[in-house]
Amino acid sequence: MTASAQPIAVSKIPREGKEESQFQIVLRRFMRHKLAVAGVVVIVIMFLGALLAPYIAPFSRDAVDIAVATRPGPPGTMSSAGQIHPLGVDHLGRDLFTRLLYGARVSLSIAFIVVVISELFGVVLGATAGFMGGWFDTLISRLVEFLLSIPTLPILLITASILIKTDAQLPLPAFVTSFVSWMLAAPPQEANKVIVLMFILILLGWTGAARLMRGMALTLRNQDFVEALRAVGASNTRIMFRHIIPNGIAPILVNASLGLAGIVIAEATLSFLGVGVQEPTPSWGNMLSTAQSYMFQHPWLPLVPGIPLCLVTIAFNFIGDGLRDALDPRLKR
Amino acid sequence: MTAYLIRRLFQMLIVVFVVSLFMFFLFNIAPGGPLTGLQQQQRRITPEEKARIRAQYELDLYWPVRYTRWLVGWPQGPIVINGQEWFAEVPMGCYLEATPEEGGGCKDYVYLAEMPTLHPPIKSSRGILFGDFGQSTVVQAGRPVWDLLASRLWATMELQILSLTLSLIIAIPLGIYSAVHQYSKFDYTFTTAAFIGSSMPTFFFGLLFILTFTILAGRIQEVWPWWPTLPPGLREAVRPYDVASWLPKVQPGSPLDRFLHLLMPVTVLTIVSVAAWSRFLRSSMLEVLRQDYVRTARAKGLVERLVINKHALRNALIPFITILVLQIPLFFAGAIVTETVFAWPGMGRLYYDALNRSDYNIALAFIYVTTILTVAATLLGDILYSVVDPRIRYS
Repeated sequence: MTASAQPIAVSKIPREGKEESQFQIVLRRFMRHKLAVAGVVVIVIMFLGALLAPYIAPFSRDAVDIAVATRPGPPGTMSSAGQIHPLGVDHLGRDLFTRLLYGARVSLSIAFIVVVISELFGVVLGATAGFMGGWFDTLISRLVEFLLSIPTLPILLITASILIKTDAQLPLPAFVTSFVSWMLAAPPQEANKVIVLMFILILLGWTGAARLMRGMALTLRNQDFVEALRAVGASNTRIMFRHIIPNGIAPILVNASLGLAGIVIAEATLSFLGVGVQEPTPSWGNMLSTAQSYMFQHPWLPLVPGIPLCLVTIAFNFIGDGLRDALDPRLKR
Repeated sequence: MTAYLIRRLFQMLIVVFVVSLFMFFLFNIAPGGPLTGLQQQQRRITPEEKARIRAQYELDLYWPVRYTRWLVGWPQGPIVINGQEWFAEVPMGCYLEATPEEGGGCKDYVYLAEMPTLHPPIKSSRGILFGDFGQSTVVQAGRPVWDLLASRLWATMELQILSLTLSLIIAIPLGIYSAVHQYSKFDYTFTTAAFIGSSMPTFFFGLLFILTFTILAGRIQEVWPWWPTLPPGLREAVRPYDVASWLPKVQPGSPLDRFLHLLMPVTVLTIVSVAAWSRFLRSSMLEVLRQDYVRTARAKGLVERLVINKHALRNALIPFITILVLQIPLFFAGAIVTETVFAWPGMGRLYYDALNRSDYNIALAFIYVTTILTVAATLLGDILYSVVDPRIRYS
């Protein structure tokens, strides 16, 4: 209590050698959650696989092998050139391991882009709404309520199925398309379709972050330090971006991590139902969809994309759980 | 409370209105609709023929006009006041579009005066607000949508009622037991299992079940004939089939056949709900067990069983109401993903088929009813919450 009475800048306090930084404390707490650490390991492996897909994939993504083209082949099938397909081939004779790597790239890219954009969007809107209040707050709150009260899956399905059938294109600058096309390791025409899908997921996905941030802003704006900031002449923008948002970032990080799992599942579900990522772009969801039609003769097929899909969603959820424990010890049960 | 209710009801109306308007707008930009298949079949179709078929599905009308006709069955024709027709010359749509060589635009407008002849009231819907959902265009062309929905409703209800009952029976004791024995071995195993269960995608669960109990079991059966297998999908079989060597052939449509077909989809739905609900109940129970009145009850010397069942459980179940009430729309909408994986002939599957085959009247009716049920369920949840827990007041 005595320390807080002295108005000295926090950063000027001399650090002792042994003292832990905030980051180190969080890291230490996170490391205690064994399953979350295992989650990080899984994600890093998947991420590396996805990132290096063009370099480590034994075949090219869409290479159709006429010799084994008519039906799926089990792991260890030889290609006509005498190369081994480590996880077998699909019904067109395309190498499953290669498509799995590129699929990881597509699924993970979609998840990261969608989550980053929708969390940013949600954070800024939510913070502004909570901090400013007034008509803007009413507008955002009503919008969030609206989006939360509609039946999500049916509407997601219908929107995706129609927009993807129409070849709808968002008016985006070329560098966005080429960036996404690089992220997906897929040609720009394919990237365009995926952008539409991501757009739909973002439209429905920003509400969680907005609600969290709005709540934080509402409580923070009445606290003494905001009053103090105003007294020293800080502008609203500065208070919001330098003080309100950083203060509320912990629950947002947790929300984002759980959101990653949610988006991976949503994309896989949509692709599985045939309204998400479209062939020939591989995604774990549409690989499972093809696998379903061949699984009676070739039972290993759904396991190839299914196991990594499950590992990734479970890993993201465990990381979220670990982050929650590490960032906010009060929530520890 | 009354003011609150009125405000919420008003909001509900707006939500339903906006959602249905948005859907109509989406359908408007969708290519072809019922015409997609037609264009693929006959490439050499003249513009006049195409216009005639378009008109059959009312696609010649502008989408806001189609929307009001769909919603309230209006306008059917010019407004007649004292024998005089009003607004007869207002264009309602475009029957024949001009080709780009002719300069684009519209060659032949549909005027309000022509509506009674071009789109006679017998053929069009009286409006969804009056309970007329129109006719199916592709899935079962000509059949009233309402009839089609009703024929699928029971299959969905069967699945939902069974899995809901089972989930409640399993989830409540699990959650409570785990909370009461917090940090025990059971609690640790259970929370981890439930966590993994609730973070796996449902459709992969379904595929795993088919893989294990149909395909893998079938291969085992080839070695050991007594090993049972399960039918992979549909609601009942088409022809008699073998389950295991110690059972007679199962006849299609028999109670045993029905039961076997229900097993997998119900189990998948139950596992998913149990994983989510028991986790919720566990944390809600832990919250309650920390309360002062539980300590007081214990201090009075009450038997632990009574403390848990009477004092703690009742209060722990209150927040659960909101989750339970949100299940109501599912009795109509069904589980789209699970029904699709198991080819279950329910509502969810019908909706999925309707989307795939651009049967928009079915899709619209489905979305419309589901949206109403969802918002109504949310409102009901809030009201029940305040009824059960007097601490909660809405103003």
